[in-house]
Amino acid sequence: MNSLDFYLFNTFHYPYIPPVEDVPSSWVTLSNKYCDPKLAHEVYRENLDVCVAAEKFGFDGVLVNEHHVTAYSIQPAPNLTAMNIIARTSRIPVGMIGNALPLYANPIRVAEEVAMLDVISGGRVICGFVLGTGMEYLSQPINPAFARERFWEAHDLIIKAWTQDGPFVWEGDNFHIPNVNPWPRPLQQPHPPIWIPGIGSLDTVRKCAELRYHYMTVFSPQWFAKRMFDGYRKSAEESGYEASPKQMSAAVPTYVAETDEQAHREAKAHLTWLYHIGLRHPAHYHIPPGHSTKASFTSFIGARMKYGMKDHDQLSYEELVKDRYIIVGSAQTVAQIYQEEYVEKLGVGGIIGAGGVFGPMPQWMVMKNMQIMAEEVMPLFRDADGQPSYMKRPSPLGATLAERAATRGPATAPMVRLDGVPHAVDTRRAHVPETIANAGGEMPRYAAE
Amino acid sequence: MSAVLEIPRETIPRPRNHYTEPHFLTVEGLPTAYRRKGTGETVVFLHGAGMTRMWLPVYDLLAQRFDVIAPEHPGFGETPLPPWLRGIDDVVLHYHEMFRLLGLSRVHLVGFSLGGWIAAEFAAFYPDLVKSLTLITPIGVRAGVSGPDLFELGPERIWTHLFNQHDKIAEFASEPNLDEISFGYGEAIAIARLAWTPRYNIQLPRRLNRVKAPALIVRAADDRLIPDAIALQYEKLLPDARSVVIPRTGHALIAEEPAATAAAIGDFIGSVRP
Repeated sequence: MNSLDFYLFNTFHYPYIPPVEDVPSSWVTLSNKYCDPKLAHEVYRENLDVCVAAEKFGFDGVLVNEHHVTAYSIQPAPNLTAMNIIARTSRIPVGMIGNALPLYANPIRVAEEVAMLDVISGGRVICGFVLGTGMEYLSQPINPAFARERFWEAHDLIIKAWTQDGPFVWEGDNFHIPNVNPWPRPLQQPHPPIWIPGIGSLDTVRKCAELRYHYMTVFSPQWFAKRMFDGYRKSAEESGYEASPKQMSAAVPTYVAETDEQAHREAKAHLTWLYHIGLRHPAHYHIPPGHSTKASFTSFIGARMKYGMKDHDQLSYEELVKDRYIIVGSAQTVAQIYQEEYVEKLGVGGIIGAGGVFGPMPQWMVMKNMQIMAEEVMPLFRDADGQPSYMKRPSPLGATLAERAATRGPATAPMVRLDGVPHAVDTRRAHVPETIANAGGEMPRYAAE
Repeated sequence: MSAVLEIPRETIPRPRNHYTEPHFLTVEGLPTAYRRKGTGETVVFLHGAGMTRMWLPVYDLLAQRFDVIAPEHPGFGETPLPPWLRGIDDVVLHYHEMFRLLGLSRVHLVGFSLGGWIAAEFAAFYPDLVKSLTLITPIGVRAGVSGPDLFELGPERIWTHLFNQHDKIAEFASEPNLDEISFGYGEAIAIARLAWTPRYNIQLPRRLNRVKAPALIVRAADDRLIPDAIALQYEKLLPDARSVVIPRTGHALIAEEPAATAAAIGDFIGSVRP
């Protein structure tokens, strides 16, 4: 088994904004007058091209995110992005980290769209469920004080909609739906893998472990991420099983080049932009009232005060490197950090951001990072065949029509009654007179029976 | 049999100035904090989205003429946040029961800011229980203009928007220690439950027509947080309303000019026929 999975993570930054002195926040209040649709086109094209390229380089999956009203990420609709990537790739898993469940007035929409993506992609979807950052709530008509209850109710509803035959009635605190019965159902059974990112809520960690969902950290310092992963393993134990490293991933943007010096030279400005400009926002945007419980807020703020944790835009580049907000170096350096710190110390099975468009990084640099990662780092964590992990799992669908026809079983015949014919006929053959005459009134059996 | 569960009280930090020990009355399981002083006609003063836990100078000045009761809303001050709090109507029903337990039949109802919205809703639901209605820089109806987003302003910048007399901020603002920050976040959760979105009730304007009691709208000279147009809208919608402007004030006029505010309210209530 491969010891580490490599995920490309693209957040679709829009970096063409005024100088840092003029922008107190890249979120919520930065006017969209600065978003030139022509430049946005280039952002989408470059990011999507990189996502598609990830399959040929040999990444284990492509992940896209969801944020609203920000230059940090012009990706409010990750399912649309995923559809583009799915249409242009053939085997690689594609994950939405998204969807921000509480922001949906109707979570059935998520059940429908994710199932569509899963069916169309042939079962390649990784389904993230996210709360959304605090910043999203400052610009959306959703009350953060009810965000957590909406999140878990939407989650319960979607999972039930995917795993139980409809129609059924949903009578929740936040959603009341008379006929829950979404079409299509997802291809992966019982449902696509669920990934949940966390920024520090131990309740979320515990729930993820109980439900055996994939837990991922996001842009946390390494010591903080370790606390979360240790919490996950402990909660798994309390739930009566041993967590596999493949249930956990750490998001840490990584840039690799010929030498350590060269890697820093190339990446420094872009990764600094990512943390200093992209993630720039006043601290209180992050945790609007009720986005955390009072207890969890108090322990978070208490820890910040005690350990002197800084906001992202206050961290120096050296601090970003030291605390492993980012990893930058030669293939040897990066591989060593991945092995000693992530595989061994943190016990995770995946790195998110082992490639991607970090800040305003030009495409050639993004591709260079991906190529060195693929040729010089990935093989060290893989079986002798060098294959990505998804190649080692059976695909839920055959690649060709013949394979699928051979394996799927008979479909229910679409029957219709025609004038002058005494019995129902198979619509698909109704234009062939011999088949009508020969049918003799006998109904074909239904596949489900 | 009662389905009411007792909601436990928490330890709450005490502000530096104006703190007094509250009384508690258990209202359908919720230990509700209130402060009371004075004699005469009963005035119930509903606080805004902050400056709780205090016996404010404006309350004390009113208590020279009236029996002043200043309760703390569910989830504010020393009244715990009950799980059932989801909207203003929950607060209205809570106060209806509290007034019954206190043996109050008809009261002079005063509300400041968020408390003004609660007072207006209460008066619309229970017009017969309201002898007079005073709304001070209230929110709760739309006026076609909106001020800054108080949640976007955040806990630090909010004070300079609340007060125009900045030298008075220190007397009322909370200290930046962990206990106070945590307490403030808890109170902000209650505010959000009541008024994150929408910050008005589209059903209220028509309902205000039910309020037959005389009403006073107390306006700031220059409110930089909640547009004065909202106060004027209330004056227009309430059948028997007049307004008064307190000079040199911003939104938090009760803290900036307590004497002028208490005098304006006192004169109005004093003029209402029993």
